[in-house]
Amino acid sequence: MTSTADLTERYVDATLRRLPTRLRPDVERELRASIADAVDAHVDGGADPAAAERAALDALGDPVRLAAGYADRPLHLVGPAYYLDYRRLLTVLLATVTPIAAAVVGFVGVRRGEPVADVLLGALGAAATTGGHIALWTTAVFALIERVPALRRAPSRGWAPEQLPELPGRRAKHAELVASTAALVLGVSLVLLSPTTSTVTDGDGDPIGPLSPWLWDTRFVHLFTALLVVALGLVYARHYARWSSPVAVAAALVDVTCAVALVWLVANDRVLNPAFVAAAGWSGGLVRAIEICLCALAATTVLHAVGGAAARTRR
Amino acid sequence: MPDDELLSTHLQELRRGTAVLACLLVLREPNYGYALLDLLDRRGFAVDANTLYPLLRRLEKQGLLTSDWNTDESRPRKFYRTSPDGERLADALSRDWDGLDTAFRALRGES
Repeated sequence: MTSTADLTERYVDATLRRLPTRLRPDVERELRASIADAVDAHVDGGADPAAAERAALDALGDPVRLAAGYADRPLHLVGPAYYLDYRRLLTVLLATVTPIAAAVVGFVGVRRGEPVADVLLGALGAAATTGGHIALWTTAVFALIERVPALRRAPSRGWAPEQLPELPGRRAKHAELVASTAALVLGVSLVLLSPTTSTVTDGDGDPIGPLSPWLWDTRFVHLFTALLVVALGLVYARHYARWSSPVAVAAALVDVTCAVALVWLVANDRVLNPAFVAAAGWSGGLVRAIEICLCALAATTVLHAVGGAAARTRR
Repeated sequence: MPDDELLSTHLQELRRGTAVLACLLVLREPNYGYALLDLLDRRGFAVDANTLYPLLRRLEKQGLLTSDWNTDESRPRKFYRTSPDGERLADALSRDWDGLDTAFRALRGES
């Protein structure tokens, strides 16, 4: 007898465990009553209590499925609404970032004069790691969008063919999203890899990173990376969620902060590693050109952010 | 005759959504989970328990049903009842169903 009483307890527990806390008391009360009613009905029909309980629980089916129904959770990772975008983004990222990562690691290996087998293994390893990360994080982001109602695009109120976006504009918008993601993933990977994979080595054979060690000593590089990731998140918010004025202002602020931080780094000579510049034999003119390029990038970002935010909020 | 699996797939597709209308119509009289399941079954709407119970909550969340706990008896039960919004939706869905029925009859040549 105890084993049958256990079954209901186990069933209720298995269901409630997968529900948000606020739903639990009410669902538990209702579910227990429903099971007890079903058991009574089977007993009235002539079944013994143990068989009745089994039949009642069997009719309710897998508690995981029942809990998903109660919590209104999808039983898929990425549903039809986002699957095409998910596949497109994943394909582009895998097709661009993975070979570039492999090529960079391979190139560095060749420059260091490593044996061919090591270079190949290193490049393959880098491709596999990069691909794994891209697949994991892209899937995680889309699964999250699928599960958090606030992230989902607001349901459109009716649709007319006139609302079709202009062809080049739409392509540009999607291309902007993909390009921003690819650029960020690639840029951040290269920056984070730079201290360990460099073409230049010191007397002991240790690599000299091209970027200033100050960035790592102060953890500034991690802060900067986090800012860039937030900026990318806001680009996604613009594409997939309701684009409101607060989001527009936040996106502009984050972009401007990144740009100002970049200019400040350049102005204080905290971008390039002096040891790397010396070891690679770069001229002052080349360093100057790199700094001018970075400042131009920062200026473009500010103009784009302010102009974009103004245009959005006016709408 | 198509094979059983194909038939059941198409029947499932055809019946998807009828449980909502059946619930809204039946719950004009307040009723609770298991009794409703039993009643629907007897009236010709075979709904699975693990579909019906979450569906009742979803309809309640959408404001189409209201609910009350009845604790008069030894076993407390949550009674659901169709709300005015639910009534309006049931009317609209019923009209649609009737329209479909007429259309199907016309297709079969019964006019």
